[in-house]
Amino acid sequence: MTDADSSTLEQESDDAVEAAGDLARRVAENVGEVIVGHDAEIEHILTAVLGRGHVLLEDVPGVGKTMLARSIAASFDGSFKRVQFTPDLLPSDITGINVYNQKTSEFDFRPGPVFANVVLGDEINRAPPKTQSALLEAMEEQQVTVDGVTHEMPDPFTVIATQNTVERDRTYELPMAELDRFMKKLHLGYPDSDDEAEMLGRVVGNHPIEDLSPVATLADLQAARTAVSEITVEEPIRAYVTRLAEYTRDQAQLGVSPRGSIALLRAAQARAALAGRDYVVPDDVQTEARAIMPHRIRTASADRTGEEIVGEALETVAVE
Amino acid sequence: MSTETGGPTERAVDAARRPLAALFEPRGLALLSAGLLLFSFTFPLYGIIDVVGDPSTFLLVVAVTLVLATGLSRVVGAWTALPVGLGLLVLGLWMYASALPADVVAQQDRILGDVVSLFMGLSVLRLQMIELFALAYTPAPVFLTWYLVLRRRYVGAALVGGAALTFFVLTGDVDTLVALLGALGAVGTVGFGRLERFGGADRAVETMAVVLAAMVVATMLVSVVPGGTGTPFGLFGEGGTDTIEGSLINSDQRVSIQGSISLSSAVRFTVESPREAYWRTGAYDRYTGDGWVRTGSTLDYRGEMSGPQGESRIVEQAVTIESELDAMPAAWKPVRVSENVAGDTSVTSLGGLQPASAFTPGDSYTVVSRQPVVSPRRLQRAGDDYPGRIESRYTNLPASTPDRVATRTRQIQDGAGADTAYETARAVESYLEREKGYSLEVDRPDGEVADSFLFEMDEGYCTYFATTMVTMLRTQDIPARFVVGYTTGEQVDSGTYQVRGLDSHAWVEVYFPDVGWVQFDPTPAGPRQDAEQDRIEGGGDLGNVDDDPEPTTEPPSTPDRPTTNPSPATPGSTVGPIRTPTTDGDAVRTANDERGGIPLPEPPSREEAALILVVLAGVAAGARRLGLHERAYRAVWVRWQPRADPASDVQRAFERVEYVLAREERPRRDGETPRQYLAAIDADEPVERVYRLHERARYAGDVTVSLADDAVAAANEIVRERTGPLG
Repeated sequence: MTDADSSTLEQESDDAVEAAGDLARRVAENVGEVIVGHDAEIEHILTAVLGRGHVLLEDVPGVGKTMLARSIAASFDGSFKRVQFTPDLLPSDITGINVYNQKTSEFDFRPGPVFANVVLGDEINRAPPKTQSALLEAMEEQQVTVDGVTHEMPDPFTVIATQNTVERDRTYELPMAELDRFMKKLHLGYPDSDDEAEMLGRVVGNHPIEDLSPVATLADLQAARTAVSEITVEEPIRAYVTRLAEYTRDQAQLGVSPRGSIALLRAAQARAALAGRDYVVPDDVQTEARAIMPHRIRTASADRTGEEIVGEALETVAVE
Repeated sequence: MSTETGGPTERAVDAARRPLAALFEPRGLALLSAGLLLFSFTFPLYGIIDVVGDPSTFLLVVAVTLVLATGLSRVVGAWTALPVGLGLLVLGLWMYASALPADVVAQQDRILGDVVSLFMGLSVLRLQMIELFALAYTPAPVFLTWYLVLRRRYVGAALVGGAALTFFVLTGDVDTLVALLGALGAVGTVGFGRLERFGGADRAVETMAVVLAAMVVATMLVSVVPGGTGTPFGLFGEGGTDTIEGSLINSDQRVSIQGSISLSSAVRFTVESPREAYWRTGAYDRYTGDGWVRTGSTLDYRGEMSGPQGESRIVEQAVTIESELDAMPAAWKPVRVSENVAGDTSVTSLGGLQPASAFTPGDSYTVVSRQPVVSPRRLQRAGDDYPGRIESRYTNLPASTPDRVATRTRQIQDGAGADTAYETARAVESYLEREKGYSLEVDRPDGEVADSFLFEMDEGYCTYFATTMVTMLRTQDIPARFVVGYTTGEQVDSGTYQVRGLDSHAWVEVYFPDVGWVQFDPTPAGPRQDAEQDRIEGGGDLGNVDDDPEPTTEPPSTPDRPTTNPSPATPGSTVGPIRTPTTDGDAVRTANDERGGIPLPEPPSREEAALILVVLAGVAAGARRLGLHERAYRAVWVRWQPRADPASDVQRAFERVEYVLAREERPRRDGETPRQYLAAIDADEPVERVYRLHERARYAGDVTVSLADDAVAAANEIVRERTGPLG
């Protein structure tokens, strides 16, 4: 191989992409201090964060959903708030309220817990839809309106919500339109026996989450997000994403929306950054599609799940 | 799930193939086949009309009928159109019947007999007023066939068209090639029509094309393979060698002109006659461009017939048949036959004699002829006041006869200073004797025989000479006809002539008002007799030779054989020497020696071209069916990469490598990314390199000329290393 040849092959990703990938790896390592296993899920959450998305973790209780969200939040030096959703939670409990200030004779806005860089919405499906939608407005619009006054959300702003799949009779399932606002829905699942044993070893004595310190600044995260959004997405990739979305629309009652396609592209960009690559390849799309598409699909019959349809799409839609 | 569908590369090839597929529409092919069928039964009529006159009216009728059928097919249902078609047929035949001369119509049993004989192989060329017949007959089948095809009633169309074609097959007016084309048309109409109605896949259309091609190939092979029966027939000329006699002397009403020919030395009959003469067996009036036909019906012999109009002398000949003979030789003009054969004798429409059944050895008969006695002076004075019936019948030529024949004849007339019909006849006769050599080895020309012989051939035998002379005279409106029979033969005793097969001959009769038909022989006598003599001497194993004691000392005919009976040596003062035997002989030898070269293949005729097309289409469809053309395309495609812009160069290089890998390992699956594929097949460094270059070009939008060069070079290397010579 000559010098000229090798120059054409050199991965000439720029420094910003390199830095974004670096940041993600640092955070992942940090989270790994607390969470045993679940490397793929951690990566998925990180690509969602880099791709300006929000994440919904769905699973049975006790598999570490909250711990995972907390670890991620703790890895950044930004603010972190946690909202425990209950059936009696009111919207103003999330967004905040205007309080009459007797000194100034004016109403002061007292921000609710949603005003933080990382918000953990625990058991979001326990609250009634009205309360859920207060959070969802903040997620989509990056702003909250209280008594006619609009308040901007901090930047960056990421919601990590969890929901229980048990006790369905006492929950309010998120409507399709609101599910769509989560970039990804992830399942953690039980750890395998080795991982569980190691985890048990770690929690004896001081819980490692107490020792976790931030490894990235908010400025780092903002820079990384900018770098990710500038990663090259060529026409073949856009066409591939479109074909995947079309396939789900053909096969299901309700397929992946254009918002879903956008989310897929953003996540794929973040995935490329994670690999230190400044362009998206089909593999990025395929990895992200499994987390981004299924929850946006409503199947025609109960026999087929969104996961199955996405699996078929990835198998039959040609990569060109 | 994804095993049936091809990968991205397959789709690229598919896209390139799509325009080809548009050619294979069942409806279009069905219409094409119907057109072939229409052609097969209108073409013979066209050819026939071309013989007797101007075919433009006929073409107009066909065109109008097609337009009418097209129009009606859009507005009228089948149950209305069928009566229209049948009505056309009845109306046409009624018009034809009412136009026939009254005396013909009166003989109703004759008409019935003629209709039967039409189906037994009597050519429609022999019908009277053939042009009217064609115009009357054609519209009905043309209309019905085309109408039914347009109405998508393909089976009905094939039946009607097939019936119309069968009629001409029975009358013998279509040759094998055209009949085969018609059959292909009928089968194609039905086959493609069914595919069109019931939704034919490409595969079915291809199969149909292969079947049609197989019909052509099998038809040709069946007659060629050893042990196969039937007449050999091939696309490029017939190989058999016939005898002159076989081609000329028969009881058919037609003579077709053939290629190379041989002579038979078997003795046919002996004649005892006080005078020598040409022993005539038949004459033909209608020239078709490639043969001769006698029109009109043959009648039974009913007592003494009229002699020539002018002065004549009675010659009584006693004929003894020596070998089977389906003819009745007699000097012109026979007027009476002996009682023993009178009942079995027929009289042709041209006044000749014909046996009802072939003679067998030992048969004998006597015939009384009245030979015209004419002097050149008498013929000079004959003028050109021809009876209308004679003129219209004997000056008719195919419309396709080139004008240059007439032009050349006029030049010959001018050159010889010929003013009268007699002088013209002598001038043409001597011109042909002088200019053309005698040879039995000729290639049958493709086009108009007289024209070809006059302008393209250097030599021929009597049939060519006589045909050409008749044609030339007719261009000058001099009534002439083509006559066949035997020359005088060998005088074995005083007044006894022994006639062999090789004496069979064709010559010319020219009509002179108030005189009748007078013989002319344009064939050079010397070389012809040489050829015959060679055959006799060489045929020592034939039992008849010992009947022939002195073949050389007393040749059967003198070099100065009279061409006009009975005035051998009195050519008119205006006519030059008739023949120059020695130079003719030399010319033949020289010409013969030159005939050693490889003959150039003649271009195929229209029918042959159509058949070749059908075979080619079948082969192409078969190849397509077997995927041969795709393989060939792929083999080139994978090896040869023309450069375009860098982006498509890289893409093409990548597809080539994928193609090679697909054959070597497995095709990349639809949902499989290039990276996953590489990992799965555990690709080596050069392949990985092409994939990485492709990834950069395609997904990073980072494509330069040097990157493209790199990719193409790497792909070339991989293809070269991993594919065999046939890919």
